[in-house]
Amino acid sequence: MARPALRMMGRPDGTPHARVARLDRDRPAVEAARADPARFEALYRKYVAQVYSFAVYELRDHHDAEDATERTFLAALANLHRFEERARPGEDAEASTFRIWLFQIARNTVAERRRVRHRRPEAPLEAAIGATDPMDVEHSAIVREETAAAWQAIGRLPDDRRRAVVLRFVHEMSTREIAQILGRSEGAVRVLLHRALRSVAGDLGRGRS
Amino acid sequence: MTSASFGRDGDIEAFVMDRYLESLLAREPIEPDGVPPDLARTARRLAETLPRYHPSFRFEEALAAKLAAVAGRIQGGEVVILPRVPGADPVPVERSFGARPVVIGGVLTSAALSLAGAAFVAWRLSRPPAAGSSRALRAVIRARPV
Repeated sequence: MARPALRMMGRPDGTPHARVARLDRDRPAVEAARADPARFEALYRKYVAQVYSFAVYELRDHHDAEDATERTFLAALANLHRFEERARPGEDAEASTFRIWLFQIARNTVAERRRVRHRRPEAPLEAAIGATDPMDVEHSAIVREETAAAWQAIGRLPDDRRRAVVLRFVHEMSTREIAQILGRSEGAVRVLLHRALRSVAGDLGRGRS
Repeated sequence: MTSASFGRDGDIEAFVMDRYLESLLAREPIEPDGVPPDLARTARRLAETLPRYHPSFRFEEALAAKLAAVAGRIQGGEVVILPRVPGADPVPVERSFGARPVVIGGVLTSAALSLAGAAFVAWRLSRPPAAGSSRALRAVIRARPV
């Protein structure tokens, strides 16, 4: 949770005044990790599943996703001194510029992995679905079928649309966060999502007919 | 693709859809007024069915141990050269990322790489160039006034 803090800001006449500015909700953990890299573990534990899940959707292979996750966190730890907090007044109360930075690294790591992997065939999508859901045995056949259909439809989306959908629906990020991760405007992300939903709706509709 | 290419009506529909998604993901769905029924249905389906994946316990713990080892080396002040990681720079996200090395606190394998790299550069500079043109070029450089 982002916490408000008093910061001294200059007035036009030169006298300072207090202004409330939101701070990154991960600021304490980031500062602790900068002071003692061993304390990076708290950030790792908090975000490892999110990064891994993002990588699974992007790479559709658990081994590749593990590799991308490892590279992402090693890079984040090694480059933590380069991270700059960018939370601003008015930012979403749950905003974390650290998470955005981490996902920017993950996005680039995954993109590199995908470029390398184009030289060999991709793992079947069903393998990723079946191999990762520990609750799979308890799922009904209908749910499995729906999940598989949605997974397939998302897999057919162009890269940016797929990423926007995964970040929005799986990681429940705001449009602003997604825009920062993808390097797009918020309006462009809204359009990406809208078009993605149209494609997926068409795909799922065809599947039913 | 830009929002401009989508058209004003499309922009508005995308904005209305975004508001609906916001409420849907907040578990307080509003009436999807202005959202085509098939899109609203698809959005609900994605929100309900797309799973979150979690790494295996074994992988998570192994990576935690690896990160702890790297953290220890960074704390110990080791300085090595690693390839720069795209996206790790504090630059505006709109910029594209190039590739260049950066000096950081790092890991054992990378330390070995950096030592090997330094040794290679030193060895290469100390060797006389094989090609005649290279020897001539070096001679010109050496003869040039500083």
